[in-house]
Amino acid sequence: MSVTRGREIGRPMRAEVDVVIVGSGAGGAVVARELARDGRSVLALEEGGYYTPEEYGKLSPSQSLRRLAREAGLNVAMGIGDTPLISALAGKAVGGSSLLTGGVIFRVPEEILHHWSTELGLGELSSEALDPFFSEVEKAVHAELVPDAMRSRSTELFVEGAEKLGIPMKALRRNTRGCRGASRCTFGCPNRAKMSVDLSYWPDAWAHGARVWSDALVERIDIRAGRAWGVRGRFLDQETGEPRVPFEVSAKIVVVACGALHSPLLLRRSGLEGPHVGRHMTLHPSFRVCALFDERVDGWDGAMQSAYSDAMMDQGITFVSAYNPPSVLAAAFPGVGPPHLRLIERVPHLAVFGGMVHDDGGGQVRRWISREPLLLYKMSDRDRARLFLGIQTLGKMAFAAGATEVLLPLFGSETFKNESELDFLTSNPPSARRVESLSFHPLGSAKMATTQERGVVKPTGETWQVDNLFVADGSVVPTSIGVNSQLTIMTMALKIARGILADYARYAKRAA
Amino acid sequence: MSVPTLGTRDFARTTLRPRHRRTIAAIAEALFSRDAEPLDPAMLDAFVTNIDGFMSPASKTLRTGLILMLELLRFLPIVVVGKLALFEDLPIATRTRMLEKMDRSRLSFFPLVVVAFKTMLTVAYFEDEARLRALGYPGEERKRWLTVTTESA
Repeated sequence: MSVTRGREIGRPMRAEVDVVIVGSGAGGAVVARELARDGRSVLALEEGGYYTPEEYGKLSPSQSLRRLAREAGLNVAMGIGDTPLISALAGKAVGGSSLLTGGVIFRVPEEILHHWSTELGLGELSSEALDPFFSEVEKAVHAELVPDAMRSRSTELFVEGAEKLGIPMKALRRNTRGCRGASRCTFGCPNRAKMSVDLSYWPDAWAHGARVWSDALVERIDIRAGRAWGVRGRFLDQETGEPRVPFEVSAKIVVVACGALHSPLLLRRSGLEGPHVGRHMTLHPSFRVCALFDERVDGWDGAMQSAYSDAMMDQGITFVSAYNPPSVLAAAFPGVGPPHLRLIERVPHLAVFGGMVHDDGGGQVRRWISREPLLLYKMSDRDRARLFLGIQTLGKMAFAAGATEVLLPLFGSETFKNESELDFLTSNPPSARRVESLSFHPLGSAKMATTQERGVVKPTGETWQVDNLFVADGSVVPTSIGVNSQLTIMTMALKIARGILADYARYAKRAA
Repeated sequence: MSVPTLGTRDFARTTLRPRHRRTIAAIAEALFSRDAEPLDPAMLDAFVTNIDGFMSPASKTLRTGLILMLELLRFLPIVVVGKLALFEDLPIATRTRMLEKMDRSRLSFFPLVVVAFKTMLTVAYFEDEARLRALGYPGEERKRWLTVTTESA
């Protein structure tokens, strides 16, 4: 068995490997497969549990959240000043957040790669340099265009409305194989059709000898004389969920890949200091607008995400279609009691579309009283204006498509019956604290930079402060990218893994 | 809703004490009762246990935060609706009115309390298969992908 369930372990464990990876999600899985295929002994340590696709595919949304997501899906970034409270979804299971994404595949937009490679001096991240890595990951995860016929009626309506406003929509690419349009990707695909890393990368890594310990909380990286020597931590107790049985892993190379919310915490806990560890986090604050139509929509029938628009990307807004299971949509409807229930009864007539803001790095990840981080986020004036413009534009799309009522993501608001009622969003916007916002792409909390003064890791992914210690997840992404981040994380992890292999002899010599 | 048999056992810890269970049940009635009629006690008890299972995997910090919100909510009627009573002792219609007022409050903490529990409770309440069917949701049945399969064949 390649996965050892840590919560069943009753005695202390020790292991010695070439490479230990903290985290088994989009970054960790790619690194594990690459290094295992090259013959290195690889052990990944995952704080979450292990669930097979057959198991998680049967979970209801709330069951999925409590087993596969950090903080049972209730994690939030606290807004500073006039900033929304942002719900931050992140995975905690073997496969990490890749189990909970919508499967959307975007390359980093050209202008952002240009910014990285020129103004930030990261020539290794130019379009030409990354192109083969993007292609390789796209092939491995089976990136494919969503056929128009798989668009749900919910998406079709917003696309029709967008076209009437002169906003072109395009087909999305997703990492799917045989999608049946269950429209619940973000709670674990029930049909093994979303190529999350437990299906796309881990099987090959396991076949080449890589192992995973689940329920394994890494508490500290062993750092001596400026070099990483391994990690130590404790398995979570199967009754209480609290850390109990200790483990220790010695390794020539340590790769931290526990995501932008936790990697900086582990680095800090292990003694890495500096102004950039846990700072500059971007969240892509997201929003969704719901609309009621006279016709029956049955928006659950079709791909959960299938169309997008980059027409307003120059204004920092990307629109991406999205749908959720009815119970999750019901939770987002405005009102309390009978008015709320009346809206829920109309869920078959509901269409939904989403968007995200290409944001400044106003987020921080801080240690505090539990092992989960304190997330703080300050939205800039520019991004606040983008947020309200994005919400307003989606509302206009809905009315252009014939919606009878629009439900904005504003706490305590009524439904809106005509387009002119949306004017206040840009002419006299409410406090951003009233906006219901979500984040699925935390990035940049241990960013890559050309000097130690400007970031946490080198262009190779190795930390500036500690030898043989690498970071390979969303933390290293230098800036916000304005599009879904899964492919970017995997591509950067692949590049970092190839760099480790190319220089492996040097790293191993340091460890001798 | 039943949980399928899983290889990885769920953690057994719980969060809600009896008084918190009463408050959660009172919120559920305020949110989901039609015509201010009480909900079935047995269903409500099972539902509150389900909510406890929802909260309990979260960190100690988050669980403590949610419990503090519940405790505060119990004592807020005097502030929000001018009634000297615990939240769970109010008539259902008054509880609903109180949550409505909090949802629309300019004090950002009040909507936060409502949204936190409304979200968790609504997701869990409308996962019930019978309730979903009553809304017109067909369960796992889907039709669009069959069109794609036919076209590609």
